[in-house]
Amino acid sequence: MKRFGRWLIPLLPIPALALLAFGLTRDVQVLPSAIVGEAAPEFHLETMAGDSLTLAGLDARVVVLNFWASWCIPCRQEHPALVRATEVYDDSNVRVLGVLYQDTPEGAERFMRRFGGEWETVLDPGTRTAIDFGVYGVPETFFIDADRRIAYKHIGPLSWEILQTKVDSLLAVGGA
Amino acid sequence: MRRLALLVFLLLMLAPESALAWKQEEGMSAAEVDQLSAEVAAQLRCPVCRNQSVLESSSGLAREMQSVIRDRLASGETPEEVRAYFVSRYGNWILLKPEPKGINLLVYLLPVAALLFGGVLLYYRIRRWTGATAPGPQASLAGLEVPDADPAPTQEGRAAEPTSPDGDGGLSEEEEEWIRQQIGSLG
Repeated sequence: MKRFGRWLIPLLPIPALALLAFGLTRDVQVLPSAIVGEAAPEFHLETMAGDSLTLAGLDARVVVLNFWASWCIPCRQEHPALVRATEVYDDSNVRVLGVLYQDTPEGAERFMRRFGGEWETVLDPGTRTAIDFGVYGVPETFFIDADRRIAYKHIGPLSWEILQTKVDSLLAVGGA
Repeated sequence: MRRLALLVFLLLMLAPESALAWKQEEGMSAAEVDQLSAEVAAQLRCPVCRNQSVLESSSGLAREMQSVIRDRLASGETPEEVRAYFVSRYGNWILLKPEPKGINLLVYLLPVAALLFGGVLLYYRIRRWTGATAPGPQASLAGLEVPDADPAPTQEGRAAEPTSPDGDGGLSEEEEEWIRQQIGSLG
């Protein structure tokens, strides 16, 4: 018993240290998402122009749902990627849709005038839709496939490469 | 007259109750909804803060989440259902206290296991320590060097030496032998 114990004691901290090492080497910025792979929550929101819009009412094969705000600096950084997406992809294939996150329509309009872009942005009063999508902050982008499932979620500014890779993979699934 | 006053008083007492009746038909009073939503909010992690609950946080998102909690409770959902909604959107991460299931059980069981193990270890250690000193002089004198005649130990030095723990105050054979030697060298 004594001999057994003596061998065991130095080994004891190893599992604890392993657990600690695992915890400390994880990137705390990367938060788990429960919603990827699930059906996208339905929403019924108004665009800045005053039109009513639902997810089910969109007929594009892929929806790029981009949560953003005019006060969000990384949103400016990713903006050209979204502009390019609307230029490169056909509307029936890819629909870029903005969801305004804790911002005023006036701020959003100024932003779009300044940085360009033709796609619509819906208002999200009470942040209900953002909470429905499990949004932590902006920018966050959801890639919704033809079955209206959330295929990917991107946290932080998008690059054109990331956007293109994800959209193309979703378009490839359904066949061109 | 007095009876009338009493009646009026009682009616006044009942007034707020009846004013709330429409709420109660739905299940809870406004105060109960507030109370319950505060409880649920305290269990949820604010997504934009570090280790602060939705209740404590003053961030915009946490405020909106509080109103979502209140609306859902008021519409008849149970606190479990409201929690489940947030878990379905944000994952288990949103719960400040992980549910005791699967790998999460480690969080609950490890401290208890460590405490038990430490207790058992300590018990055997203490038993060994006391067991080691109990037999007396042999053990404690094992490391005792018998000093040479020069320098002669002082009174202080003697006090610092281990003495037999059974408290008989007597000298061990080796000590007696040493004293005899000292006396012999003097003589």
